[in-house]
Amino acid sequence: MRRTARLAVLAMVAAITTAGCGYGDDGDSGGEDGEIKVGISTTLTGSLGDIGNGGRNGIELALADLNADGGVLGEQVSLVAQDDDLDPARGGENARSMIVEDDVKAIFGPVASSIAASEEAVADEFQVPIFFFSSNSAALLNDTFTEYAFQVVPNTVMEPRAVAAYLAEKSQGTTVRIGTFAPDYSFGHDSVDGFLAALDALDVDYEVVSQQFPALDDPNIGPALNDLVAASPDYVYNAQYGNDLVTFTKQASQFNFFDKTTLIAMFGVKELEALGDGVPPGTVAFNRAPFWSLGQEATDFVTRYQAEYDELPSEWALLAYTAVQAWAEGVEEAGTFDGEPVSDALSGATVSTIRGDITFRECDHQAEVSEYLGELADKPDPEYGVPLWTAGSEFEATFDEISDPC
Amino acid sequence: MTGSVRDVDLATPRRRRVANLVGPVALLVAMVVAGGVLPATDVFTLRLVVVYALFALATNLLIGYGGLVSFGQAAFFGAGAYTIALGWLHWETSFWLTLVLAPFIGGLLALVVGAIALRTRRLYFALLTLAFSQLFYVVANAGYEFTKGADGVFGAIVPEFLRGRNPGNGYLFILAVASLAALALWKVTASPFGLVLRATRENRERMEALGVNVYAHQLMTFVISGFFCALAGALYVVAAGSATVELLDWGQSGHAVYMTVIGGMYVFLGPALGALAYTFGVDYVTQSGLGHWQLFLGLALLGMVIFRPDGLAGLLSPATWSGWVAKLRGRADRGSEPEGRR
Amino acid sequence: MDSLILDAVSVLSTAGWLFIVSAGLTLVFGAMRLINVAHGSFYMLGGFLMTSLAASSAGIRFWWALALATLVVAVLGALLEVTILRRIYQKDHLVQLVATFAMMLIIADVAKTIWGSRARTVDAPAAVDGTLTVGGASFPTYRLVIIAAAVLVAVALWVMLTKTALGWRTRAAVEDPELLSSSGTNLTLLRTGTFALGAALAAFAGAVVSPQLAVAPGSDTSIIVAAFIVTVIGGLGSIPGAAIGALVIGLAQTIGTSVAPSWAATSIYLAMILVLAVRPSGLLGVAER
Repeated sequence: MRRTARLAVLAMVAAITTAGCGYGDDGDSGGEDGEIKVGISTTLTGSLGDIGNGGRNGIELALADLNADGGVLGEQVSLVAQDDDLDPARGGENARSMIVEDDVKAIFGPVASSIAASEEAVADEFQVPIFFFSSNSAALLNDTFTEYAFQVVPNTVMEPRAVAAYLAEKSQGTTVRIGTFAPDYSFGHDSVDGFLAALDALDVDYEVVSQQFPALDDPNIGPALNDLVAASPDYVYNAQYGNDLVTFTKQASQFNFFDKTTLIAMFGVKELEALGDGVPPGTVAFNRAPFWSLGQEATDFVTRYQAEYDELPSEWALLAYTAVQAWAEGVEEAGTFDGEPVSDALSGATVSTIRGDITFRECDHQAEVSEYLGELADKPDPEYGVPLWTAGSEFEATFDEISDPC
Repeated sequence: MTGSVRDVDLATPRRRRVANLVGPVALLVAMVVAGGVLPATDVFTLRLVVVYALFALATNLLIGYGGLVSFGQAAFFGAGAYTIALGWLHWETSFWLTLVLAPFIGGLLALVVGAIALRTRRLYFALLTLAFSQLFYVVANAGYEFTKGADGVFGAIVPEFLRGRNPGNGYLFILAVASLAALALWKVTASPFGLVLRATRENRERMEALGVNVYAHQLMTFVISGFFCALAGALYVVAAGSATVELLDWGQSGHAVYMTVIGGMYVFLGPALGALAYTFGVDYVTQSGLGHWQLFLGLALLGMVIFRPDGLAGLLSPATWSGWVAKLRGRADRGSEPEGRR
Repeated sequence: MDSLILDAVSVLSTAGWLFIVSAGLTLVFGAMRLINVAHGSFYMLGGFLMTSLAASSAGIRFWWALALATLVVAVLGALLEVTILRRIYQKDHLVQLVATFAMMLIIADVAKTIWGSRARTVDAPAAVDGTLTVGGASFPTYRLVIIAAAVLVAVALWVMLTKTALGWRTRAAVEDPELLSSSGTNLTLLRTGTFALGAALAAFAGAVVSPQLAVAPGSDTSIIVAAFIVTVIGGLGSIPGAAIGALVIGLAQTIGTSVAPSWAATSIYLAMILVLAVRPSGLLGVAER
């Protein structure tokens, strides 16, 4: 008995001693094959997969362009892509494995803000810069802010504020009946909260007749839609996106909902393509990067993207491209790929991208960009095949108008 | 439910009891060494394995030893995880305090749930516990102001020395706590309480006739299981650095059930084996690009439950080995015998 | 008045398809004492098959696709009963739960391989694809189709179970299987048939709602939980009970979503817990043997 016990204790001590000498530590890993890697963990499959894939394609295109031009700091850069299955835990795991195993020098964010938060935590822990270009919850740069995080799109305070500003102009003193329809997670709740708060701040006379939060990526919205339709609002602010928005529009049309209600939602190229002629007339779209309004470089990008992928790029592809450009400039400025110097270099810096120059505010790394709204045209544009915005209806809410001071 | 149960007879001589210790101690040592030898990513996975092993062991107290098939243990697992996470999120409570608190909260919840659920039997019990698991999940989702809902809680929840690139410290910590918990669970199963529990599984009416308050006994078991499931949940936060609402739903409860079934319900450490097989199995299948982990899991479960109800542990038990050896030997001998003999 | 009409249509159509799914589940339990976790898988398969078969909404093709989808899944159900379920009738409920759970996993994987991971939907035939306006309220015409289908199923089941020989044999199998088989009924065949019928009902529900509710991986688990709730509230083994349960859930979802959207789902589980705690076999249910 004593011998067994002694042996056991000896073995334990031996094992624990190894703990002192870097137990569990892999030491330096990866990076020997001479190529620099960046990573993206996003939703690549399922109904929201289009958004994730658009982002990935945008990054690949940006890297191809950079590599053709001599690479970043003379190095060729490649992309590691993983699927997060719309699961925050998986997203965090992916981020960690990309950093630990593939030694990625930067991470580009996912579709959903909930997953973004988990990836942000990992990026902070391992000191790797992370760039958000789809997920835009304000909390990402606020509650969970890390110096390694950068945001290239307007957040959930700015975006709804732009919509509220538009609505304030349209309503002009009459009482508006408002309905909201947003996915049941931080992005949805934050957007609606921001929207209503902005309406208050602008002294808009409004009444909320229905607020619904269907689950993200769940096409079965029957009861929620029923309540919204029954409430008969003048305007409905829909914070859904991708396939969710397409489903909503299709199903709501079957209630003749849009005969009396104006829909305001994030209609991008992909949603419009999916709806075809099912787009309700008079719908108002808001968009973070409408390529037809952002100058020649943006339209050139569209042409190149079409040549490469045989389809129109979504705004996510465009925004992903700008995120890569920002990172590359940060690396060039810092002279190294290490997380901390790159983040320092980008903080407060202005970088040039296909959508023009963008500045990352120093206090929270928020890009100083505008949000855009417009009324959807009745007919598709002959060149692009989807309805763009009717001339004269375009409404740009500038950064100063919609953002909170630092 | 019948099955050969290999447990410690309380009147065992000291030598035999110590011999029984060798196995678990050797296993523990092996686990510690593995943590130092395997690459970091595998150690990250091992952390989850140990967490799930404890979850499965605690669940098996109900399923294997108690004959109570609960599809709701995730309610307590998740409750444990959220105790740690929400304590950190809202009140910056000390991790150590919430770690101690978590199992007690789990036990308390189990008292409430069990008091209601144990009034039903068998299938209805399974469905009722499933409903509780889903209820907790839905409530956590709906109360997003407090729980952060579908987003989950992420961040620097656990103390610094348990986090970071190096999974070693976290691993040792989880292993230490889980081992102690497993030891406690083992004591419960080997005690008179455990004996009575098994007896109620075999023949409830007879135990009641003998004067045992079966309901109270089962409730106590339910509370103990909930206690340790919550502890496993708390350790999950150490392993994963997060708490999400999916930890509460019936799918997660199902995890515990099938890890138990795959590993083996009738051997104490069987479920731990199931946790190992399941976690690394899924990991391997997804990483290697083989995909279709659901298919493999489904086939494994189906095969186990129909052909090998005593699970992997049953497969690896000495009884099975000697049975196979005998069969092989028998076949070798029989080679020289006339056809007719059988 | 408008919202009342809308609510009524919503409640009835939700209750309608829930009833069809749950009727199958409760029938199988009542006749065979088997709780089939893979019942939701049959629903999902019915929906997916529909999206493949009814590719265009060319009138009659839709209805043929509906019948075909139901039939295919019924045959699959019979196959599964013969190969797998027969082995587990005598085993305890853990085995049944785990085995049918495993079946659910396998079917889910196969479905994902065949149909992918995106949500799919079907266009209803043009004749019923429009919008109906009653009073001031407009709603999709197809909702009435769903309600009609539910009524049809209810009537057909009632007729079958009370007026036909097959029906009383099924009911007798619930009461006293030994006596039934000793009187000459082929119990094995009866069981296979009942299970196939249950699967057919689930698939029919999935196919019928596919123009309104999209099918996607995950439909199986969400449906089975809903079906559990409905059948438990109404009473396992009771088809009228399934109708009651379906109405309760339809009401809870529609009214609950208007009153307190986030907490509507909570009320459903609370109802299930309450009913089970007070009456373990549900409101009209058959006790477990």
